[in-house]
Amino acid sequence: MFIFFIIISIVISFSIFILKNKIATNILPIVFLILLIMLSGYAYMNINKTENYFFTYDSLGVLFTFVLTILSIATYYFSRSYLKNEDYSSRKVSVYYSALIMLITAIMTTYFSNNFAVLWVSIEATSLFVSMLIFFERTKVALEAAWKYLFVSSIGIAVAFIGILLMGIAVSNYGLTDLSFGTLSNVVKSMNTYWLKISVLFIVAGFSVKLSVFPLYAVAVDAKTIAPSPINAIMSTALVNVGFVAFFRTFAIISHTPILAWTQNVLFIIGLFSIFIASIQLTRVKRLKRAFAFSTMEHMGIISLGLAVGGIGYYAVILHIVLHSFVKAGLFYQINKIHSIFKSKWINDFSAYFKINPLAGLSLILGFISVLAIPPSGLFVSEFLIFKALFLSHQYIIAVVALILLTVIMVILSKIFLTILFGNVQENIKVDKINPLGNIIQLSFFGLVIYLGINPPPFFMDLINSSISILN
Amino acid sequence: MNFLFIIIYAITLIYFAYSERVKKFVWLLSVQGFVLFGMVFSSLKEIEIFDFIFILTETILVKSIIVPWFLNRVRKHNGLKRIHEPSIPVFYSVIIVILTLILSFVLSNNILNSQMHTQFFTVAFASVIFGFYFIINHKNIFSHLVGYLIIENGIFMISLAVGNTMPLLVNLAVLLDIVLGILVLGVFLNRVGNTFQSDEINQLTELKD
Amino acid sequence: MISLLLILLSSLFFVGIIIQTKAKIAARKMPSIFQPLSDVIRLFKKGAIYSSTTSIIFRAAPIVYFSSVLIAALFIPFGGNVGLLSFYGDFVFFAYLLAIGKFLMIIAAMDTGSGFEGMGANREALYSMLVEPAFFILAGSIALFTNNVSFQELFSNLHIVSSLSYSISVASIYVLIYIALVENSRMPVDDPKTHLELTMVHEVMVLDNSGFDLALIHIATWLKFAIYGSILANFLIKNTWSIYEQIGVYFVIQIAFAIIVGILESFKARNKMSKNPQWIIMLSAIAVVSFLTALIVAHKIILN
Repeated sequence: MFIFFIIISIVISFSIFILKNKIATNILPIVFLILLIMLSGYAYMNINKTENYFFTYDSLGVLFTFVLTILSIATYYFSRSYLKNEDYSSRKVSVYYSALIMLITAIMTTYFSNNFAVLWVSIEATSLFVSMLIFFERTKVALEAAWKYLFVSSIGIAVAFIGILLMGIAVSNYGLTDLSFGTLSNVVKSMNTYWLKISVLFIVAGFSVKLSVFPLYAVAVDAKTIAPSPINAIMSTALVNVGFVAFFRTFAIISHTPILAWTQNVLFIIGLFSIFIASIQLTRVKRLKRAFAFSTMEHMGIISLGLAVGGIGYYAVILHIVLHSFVKAGLFYQINKIHSIFKSKWINDFSAYFKINPLAGLSLILGFISVLAIPPSGLFVSEFLIFKALFLSHQYIIAVVALILLTVIMVILSKIFLTILFGNVQENIKVDKINPLGNIIQLSFFGLVIYLGINPPPFFMDLINSSISILN
Repeated sequence: MNFLFIIIYAITLIYFAYSERVKKFVWLLSVQGFVLFGMVFSSLKEIEIFDFIFILTETILVKSIIVPWFLNRVRKHNGLKRIHEPSIPVFYSVIIVILTLILSFVLSNNILNSQMHTQFFTVAFASVIFGFYFIINHKNIFSHLVGYLIIENGIFMISLAVGNTMPLLVNLAVLLDIVLGILVLGVFLNRVGNTFQSDEINQLTELKD
Repeated sequence: MISLLLILLSSLFFVGIIIQTKAKIAARKMPSIFQPLSDVIRLFKKGAIYSSTTSIIFRAAPIVYFSSVLIAALFIPFGGNVGLLSFYGDFVFFAYLLAIGKFLMIIAAMDTGSGFEGMGANREALYSMLVEPAFFILAGSIALFTNNVSFQELFSNLHIVSSLSYSISVASIYVLIYIALVENSRMPVDDPKTHLELTMVHEVMVLDNSGFDLALIHIATWLKFAIYGSILANFLIKNTWSIYEQIGVYFVIQIAFAIIVGILESFKARNKMSKNPQWIIMLSAIAVVSFLTALIVAHKIILN
């Protein structure tokens, strides 16, 4: 089934690329979305089933696939309005859609792959297609960002490949050949801890470019600053989740070995440094999207801390990353609107958004509350749980430092948000007819985040619990 | 016989450090492809036809013909300067590559693992480190691409050293990914050459806030 | 004894062959093979002139230089025969004998107080210093390879069996030829034909020497070439051959070496002055690689 999904997606993407006409670009993406919905339903029905030898529909993958499916539908909607606003030629539109479809397919493949090699292949594929999308606007900065992103992520992933190969030593000691996560977690226990540590360092450093955390965060942040906003909504959420999947699978393998404590320390360092760098960099951002790219980095730092601390932290981490996906996607859709109203990308040009466009202003306020994890937001629940876990495991210094840094970030982001919302009214800003549907999607995302945080439905909790069961 | 190819590979690394001409980099990459083929071929115990064809494609066809050919086209398209001054003088680069080689030979001597073919690990490790050094050392993005390919060659040898044979399908996908990545990077490089009128990395500073 | 005789004999015609080769390639009329010899005889007939600023060092240097090279020639073995002098670790002594001569020449050049000669001395010192590790690493790797540390035993135990030892010998011969060129201030590093003081290295150093002294310096250069040629020949000559075969092969190798030098000088452009250090350090790099190979062959590095 899954291999058919990949083949059909490639066919769809390729035919959009070849046909280049309006009918293809209008109909085929919808076909793909229906396919995506069907696949996520199928995956949920056949949970924990292994297909085509390389793919397993495990709980984490299914959960992230749900998120990806919802985001893909929303992104498709906003992509249409984005492409219409900018009035691109049908050739460029076809390139956009075919790259987007391939990106989503590659992301799906990473979620479901049960094998390090396949995971690696699909992650490399995601960076290829996303770099095409980053370059979509064909500006000088877009070119620079695309080049840097693709180059550095290729290097990073190559480094991760070294780590994977070194982990493979353990497998070949047993005379086996496959690099599936199940086999690895059985055999690495006997592996020399020295080699295992080196291999973990390589893998974590390499995939950090996808999770946009400490060692190789810079290009990911740059790319998110430049990419078209609908793509950004995928990049800061589903693509970051790809990085998380890679981290999580590695961590699951390590969690039964003697170097667990050491790995936790590595993750603590990554988390703290990410939050620290994000807070420093936020003080000097000038582009709005860059501020949110650093906010993503901060949230991923929190997630690293949660993954490191364990216990209740595991649950909170999965909750946090799911909720973060919805919040960030909603915010980026909103930023798309802000950019098109003010016709600018710089924070200094935005003000009095609430007066200009009250409904959108309301959704921005909700997004603001959600992303800063202020109480009704679901992110508050998950962040609270992570810090609770930190205090319970006596990591007082880390917890306090992280909290202080989060406060700094909160102050900076509030300043940005409040200027956008309530600054002085500018001259010569014309507002086109407001389409309420655009705001409804974001409002429903933010509402979903509050709902999931306060009252998570049972199937959702089951999925989270079964995905973290491998760690305990 | 294997050692002969390892020695030749080590010498190509030294020549990478020594040469300053962009054309020579491409030529050396092609030579490395042939050397890698020799390494794999001489370490094969029995020759299976599919494996053999795959190895032939991966090393000779891709690494020493297609990629260098493509890089040459990119080089001509951008009208790259014949000589690029590296930021660290060649004299020190040669010393650094010697030290890297010695380090990685000593390191692989100390690996006590009967399953690993440490003979490949010697130059593999050096190649990865030197690839990074090469990227840091050069200022133009074409050479960065060359550095990436040196790292890739090192990783190829690490996979020989570790000796776990992945399924052919996965191997093929890995190869396809890398080749596609290089092609896309090359296309971007052409565009950078057109848009920025330069291929120096210090021109790419528009992103800074 | 036989090796000393052979070296002296081959040194007489070595430079002659080089200039003949170069003339042939440049399609000029070939000078006689004994042209350098008659030049030197002419120099011997002349008296030396010394600048009034120079001291005893300047007068002593050419003689010390010549004699150091001559003593170094005593250490060279030939085939199965031991050189006139031979002891444990004699190749170190050999290298530093040559270095003493060079050192005296350098300080003599500084002694003249000429700016150009000081510059030439500076360059000569730099290049000799850079080429030294190449020689020692090479000697070390052969010593490791054969488990011996004197010239005689090095060469008599050098058995070329596997492909790896072939690669060691190829690298060694390559490096040794270029070491000889650097040591004798020949083409890629220095051009003996140049007449611009700014780009000269060795020639500018001996600008003030004349007559008898200059002749000695020339003879020392020939001797050095012949010494390196003999070392090369020792690589290739097998002790099992009869003595006549060995002598025949020896001369063939010396002539071939001279012709190679001539061809290299005709076709190779001279390096830029600033590229010289990196070019010379390359020789050390290749020597290091052959050292690592020797480590593998000698099972000092165990790889599987």
